[in-house]
Amino acid sequence: MEAAEPPMSTVAQSIAGRPILRVARLLLRVAIAALFLFAAITKLVDPNSFAEQIANYQLTPWPATAVLSVFLPALELCVGISLLLGRWESGALVWVAILLTIFSGALLSAIVRGLSIDCGCFGRSIENTGTLWPLIRNLVLLVVTGFLWFSRGKK
Amino acid sequence: MTALRQAGLILLIAVGLAGVTAAVHPKRPPFFAPPRDPNEVTLAQTKPWAGNILWVDARSESEFATEHIPDAVCLNFENWNEQFPKFLDRYNPGQRVVVYCSATSCQLSREIAAKLKGSGVDDAYFLEGGWEAWKQQSRP
Repeated sequence: MEAAEPPMSTVAQSIAGRPILRVARLLLRVAIAALFLFAAITKLVDPNSFAEQIANYQLTPWPATAVLSVFLPALELCVGISLLLGRWESGALVWVAILLTIFSGALLSAIVRGLSIDCGCFGRSIENTGTLWPLIRNLVLLVVTGFLWFSRGKK
Repeated sequence: MTALRQAGLILLIAVGLAGVTAAVHPKRPPFFAPPRDPNEVTLAQTKPWAGNILWVDARSESEFATEHIPDAVCLNFENWNEQFPKFLDRYNPGQRVVVYCSATSCQLSREIAAKLKGSGVDDAYFLEGGWEAWKQQSRP
């Protein structure tokens, strides 16, 4: 299934005419790119540790956990580079939305099951974050992603 | 190029990169079974330590409140700053510390044991099978 490239949305048209909004959009895109690049690099430094953090969610059997520990950072890296360079931005935003939704679902399930675990969002570089604040942060990032999606031009 | 086609290309590149990571990264995880840690102990191994052992419950406070190993202390990442001083009050240097979480699939006890080691608790271990193993053993 292939969606045709939509015409510029009202948000995009409104941004095109306002330099300050264009700058704000650029900053938000770079901020998300930086966040994903940081998340990817901190996990790629030690995939084995990241696998242990995924295992703490108790959602996947070990082989799948091990595969995710190398695949997720690789995908985050590609998405981060894509957003930073502004190439394939629409495709990258699709992945940002999918990843944030999956991560939020995992965090929510950990909260519901009463698991006292570390988010693992940035490997071992930032620990003791719990699960509630990362979930709130992800939801805010999803809103930002929505803004970037609806305000994008034809790319 | 449409968004879906771009997303597909990004996915392909990511799969390639993940493949390279899985093949050559020195810290790649074992793909068929979780790694066996030298700090992992079985219940049988802890028997000779009776009287000189401090159990640490790495599960949530609510699970700890429901049921726990007698004399265990609750210590998890979520409330580390509040609980760690209480752990130190109970800990005597030279004592063996064994951390447990809910079951074999839970890796939290391993991480708490590692963090305790990093905090200067040299004899910190984690229990194979966790709370489930303890419950099974204590059944008549």
